[in-house]
Amino acid sequence: MAKLIFLWLKCLVSCCIVEAVFEDQVGKFDWRQQYVGKIRFSHFDSHVQSSKKVLMATEKNVFAALNTRTGELFWRHVDKTGPEGNIDAFLLHGQDALLVVGNGRLLRSWDISVGGLNWEVVLDSGSFQSACLIGQQDTVKHVAVLKKTVISVHYLSNGHQKWIENLPESENIDYQALYSGGNGEVYVLGIVPHSHIAIVVYSMEDGEIIKQYVNCLCEMYLFIFFQSLGLEVTPHFHPVLVSHQPNAAHQPLSEFLLQLGPEHHLLLQLNSGQMVVLRDFKPVRHMTPVLTSCVFVSESEHNLQIDILLKGLLHLSLFNAETGRRLLDTTQFLSIDPNVGKPESIYVQAFLKKDDSVSYRVLVQTEDHTLTFIHLPGRKLIIEEALSEVVTMEMVELPLTGTQAELEGEFGKKADGLLSMVLKRLSSQLILLQAWVSHLWKLFYDARKPRSQVKNEISIENLSRDEFNLQKMMVMVTASGKLFGIDSKTGSILWKQYLNNVPSNAAFKLMVQRTTAHFPHPPQCTLLIKDKDTGLATLHVFNPIFGKKSHITPPALTQPILQSLMLPLMDQDYAKVLLLIDDQYKVTAFPSSKNVLQQLQETASFIFFYLMDSSQGRLSGYRLRMDLSTEQIWEVIIPTEIQKVVTVKGKRSNEHVHSQGRVMGDRSVLYKYLNPNLLAVVTESTDVHQERSFIGILLIDGVTGRIIHEAVQRKAKGPVHVVHSENWVVYEYWSTKSRRNEFSVIELYEGMELYNSTVFSSLDRPHAPHVLQQSYIFPSAISAMEATLTEKGITSRHLLIGLPSGGILSLPKMFLDPRRPEIVSEQSREENLIPYAPELLIRTEWFINYNQSVSRVRGIHTAPSGLESTCLVVAYGLDIYQTRVYPSKQFDVLKDDYDYMLISSVLFALFFATMISKRLAEVKLLNRAWR
Amino acid sequence: MMHISSILLFIMYFAALVAVSWCFTDMETGPGAALFSPPNGGDRFKIEGRAIVPGLKTQDWVSSARVLVEGEEYVGFLRTDGSFTVNDVPSGSYVVEIVSPTFRFEPVRVDITSKGKMRARLVNYIKTSEVIRQPYPLQIRASGPHSYFMKRETWGWTDFLMNPMVMMMVLPLLIIVLLPKVVNTNDPEMRKEMEQSMNMLSPNPELPDVSELMTKLFSGSKGSSKTSSSSSSSKGPRPAVKRR
Repeated sequence: MAKLIFLWLKCLVSCCIVEAVFEDQVGKFDWRQQYVGKIRFSHFDSHVQSSKKVLMATEKNVFAALNTRTGELFWRHVDKTGPEGNIDAFLLHGQDALLVVGNGRLLRSWDISVGGLNWEVVLDSGSFQSACLIGQQDTVKHVAVLKKTVISVHYLSNGHQKWIENLPESENIDYQALYSGGNGEVYVLGIVPHSHIAIVVYSMEDGEIIKQYVNCLCEMYLFIFFQSLGLEVTPHFHPVLVSHQPNAAHQPLSEFLLQLGPEHHLLLQLNSGQMVVLRDFKPVRHMTPVLTSCVFVSESEHNLQIDILLKGLLHLSLFNAETGRRLLDTTQFLSIDPNVGKPESIYVQAFLKKDDSVSYRVLVQTEDHTLTFIHLPGRKLIIEEALSEVVTMEMVELPLTGTQAELEGEFGKKADGLLSMVLKRLSSQLILLQAWVSHLWKLFYDARKPRSQVKNEISIENLSRDEFNLQKMMVMVTASGKLFGIDSKTGSILWKQYLNNVPSNAAFKLMVQRTTAHFPHPPQCTLLIKDKDTGLATLHVFNPIFGKKSHITPPALTQPILQSLMLPLMDQDYAKVLLLIDDQYKVTAFPSSKNVLQQLQETASFIFFYLMDSSQGRLSGYRLRMDLSTEQIWEVIIPTEIQKVVTVKGKRSNEHVHSQGRVMGDRSVLYKYLNPNLLAVVTESTDVHQERSFIGILLIDGVTGRIIHEAVQRKAKGPVHVVHSENWVVYEYWSTKSRRNEFSVIELYEGMELYNSTVFSSLDRPHAPHVLQQSYIFPSAISAMEATLTEKGITSRHLLIGLPSGGILSLPKMFLDPRRPEIVSEQSREENLIPYAPELLIRTEWFINYNQSVSRVRGIHTAPSGLESTCLVVAYGLDIYQTRVYPSKQFDVLKDDYDYMLISSVLFALFFATMISKRLAEVKLLNRAWR
Repeated sequence: MMHISSILLFIMYFAALVAVSWCFTDMETGPGAALFSPPNGGDRFKIEGRAIVPGLKTQDWVSSARVLVEGEEYVGFLRTDGSFTVNDVPSGSYVVEIVSPTFRFEPVRVDITSKGKMRARLVNYIKTSEVIRQPYPLQIRASGPHSYFMKRETWGWTDFLMNPMVMMMVLPLLIIVLLPKVVNTNDPEMRKEMEQSMNMLSPNPELPDVSELMTKLFSGSKGSSKTSSSSSSSKGPRPAVKRR
């Protein structure tokens, strides 16, 4: 019975605070962009004549089919991250795509039209070398997989193994390549370094070795061979041969390409043992190509080849392979943005048009992970795959327009006389009226035009802040070193900037130094790029609205950087001061004007910071001295033999807490312990045995080093996700004992009275806070977690949880409240506490992204908007999803479904009713008077 | 209203669960573990099963669905016929779930012993050792589409009329309008009776009549803020009251 009451209460509560998307809001405030990552292998679908499909296997372990015209995904399969989901090879045969996954562990066959799996087989262990399709008598029915020591052949139809053979002398010979000429024989090529080449020929039927060749591998031979062709080569050259086999059941083309140097290619033909040079592609004189790459493409009888030269310009043309002649009307020059980096790989599909002329599609991938689809009439489609690895981001407010700034300026200035103020007021009202009229006129003008022509083009020029500051600029930093500025309302990329000197293992930290609020000064963002190995860092200072690099020269950083912190101090140009601490514990300030240094000297005694050395388990606190040197004031050693520090989380600096306490059932107030200097340190045990592993959480005051609280979760392991905000810390871990995910919440309270209600000082808090903790079961793993954030902190908080299923759950913080009672009392009911239930529910109504799943959420960014009720959310991972959430519903603005029609019709009806009844009453009075 | 519907949902959900478990009992069960050489110590096994969405072709949903074993630790894909295999799973206990943006599937816990014996059971996070057997190879049937959206509170005439405030206003009005018609006021006996009861109700005849007061108040500026029909129909009964 008690359980039933609990259930009832739970339902009641969950219904009361339910917050979900309405069906008509789909796509109104939210958008999603899906990405696949950097391409490793790609094939155009040439099975169907008019197919617009391109298949991609990427370095993010994603296999996807894309529309070449629109860039939309037909389907996408996201495998495990890491080497176990790594795609080693991709072969395409008709409708079947064959993938070798996880260093030759799995062989998968996909149906590319449906996007479903045909079959999957497990291969023998051994590191993968090569795979190829085997044809016999004009049909392709088998696939061969070559590993270090074995070769196996599988049926294409069901994946069953036909035969498996050990390779001879596999300990000496490094087998690398597979080839089948369509005659029922499988050739395996192996190399003994600095000695010879070994070729083993297997029979396709039973796997017997038919022949074995051994060829001498000698550079001199090649040298003589090239000289016989009349070519001059330097002694240390690396020839690369490109040949093409259009169908695995047939012999490859007799023509092939030989790359002699980075800019020198030869088209050769092998004709009954004779080698003929068909065409010599040499660097063109007047333009020095940076890169030349040649690809064979084929379409029925035409054997074509594309030659690409680059010098800020992509030069594409088709050549007939049989004659070496260039085909007419196939040459194309495409300018490529110089700051996108060099093209890395090029995929070409040539096809016959209806009028028998040849056309082609090209897919170019450049160094910054941009995909460019090029169709022959010069149409281009650009997909920014760099956005599949967003590392960090910020949301920057848009600038005010000129008129808006003028209006705002009125309030900022000092009053100068009554009359002038009145005049100013009137003029600003006039400006507003004018703006409104022009807006109306535009609405009217647009309404007359057909809907298709009305476009709300957003460009950098017309960007301006909206009424409630709901539209912001999303500045995104990607792992490839490309920066993006994205409009949060539409998701269109407004600017992009490729930083080509970013090391591959860089760590990024993005900081907003100056917002758009200081009008004549442009907003300013600073990106700290740190090489993880050396610790050396560089600063990139830019304008977040336009993406342009700032003319301000950042300080040169010669020492490895340990820590960076933004101070609330501002210089005379309203830029916040950034402090960088190097490994000599010296402090560099940026900007470092005289004004800043003076301010720093004045406030030095209040500036504290902490450093974390996770390799030695040392967490230490420092204080800034007057001469900008530092002194250590505390140190906490976490023994590395037992546990290692995983994360150190402080609170967000832009967070506001509105209420100082909570009103209890008996009308007393429980005050929150709101320490802005509190750090949550999460540790994991080094012992991974499931009986002995544990998770530790330490709450340390960052100024004094005082340990406020320590909690240990036994029989638990990571990954741990932490959110630290207000007076609470929520963390999630895996319980090895019960094999489930668990949430734990710690809340800190000062007690019934506040020690010093005006200001919080870490140095003057004699009483330790009361600590409350509760844990819950969560029925799913999680991939990222963040709390909502609003302008003033009045709105209740929700936790945004990214799930592996692709949903983003908005879980009210109310459910994670350590004061949830086990037994319901009158007081707890008064306080609106939900009775304790061990399991938290996942309701699909709480998914803020409904069916728009976001794969592999790596981070969730929340930002306040101008409306207190609204919080802007961006989830990024493989995809990017942007939306708005209203944790306490929209209490400060009319809902988007507000029925203006109803209210106005009711008003009119009432008005007419009064009119009519007035008239009737008059008639009645008159009648009575006559009586 | 709201919680009643959610309780209904709960009941339906349980009914669906019972139905699903019935479906399972008549399916054949048996271990289907295969053993093969391990890549890096410890035996690796495979989890097999089949996902069913009733009344829908598999090609419509398989491309967007995935099989997740214990979060994203092991990932499997659905074949074009809806069956799936997750390879390379070491022994242990795992929660297997099929995730699809459109359909809801119940998760299943699969236990694999170190010898490769498989067992499937209902997921119970609170009593983790409780065993309610499920068929293995897994048969996971979709329990309907996900409900992501809240219903908008639409405005309809019935909602308006069923509102208690409106009911409170409309019912007395009906009584005022209909009662004089039912009771024949022209009958002199009846009138006498009524007068008597009226006098009993208001023993002080000096007090001003309430209805009189109201008409005085409203006749000047405001009509009764009801619809025109109600005010016109009030013509009938009002004189009847006043004539007394």
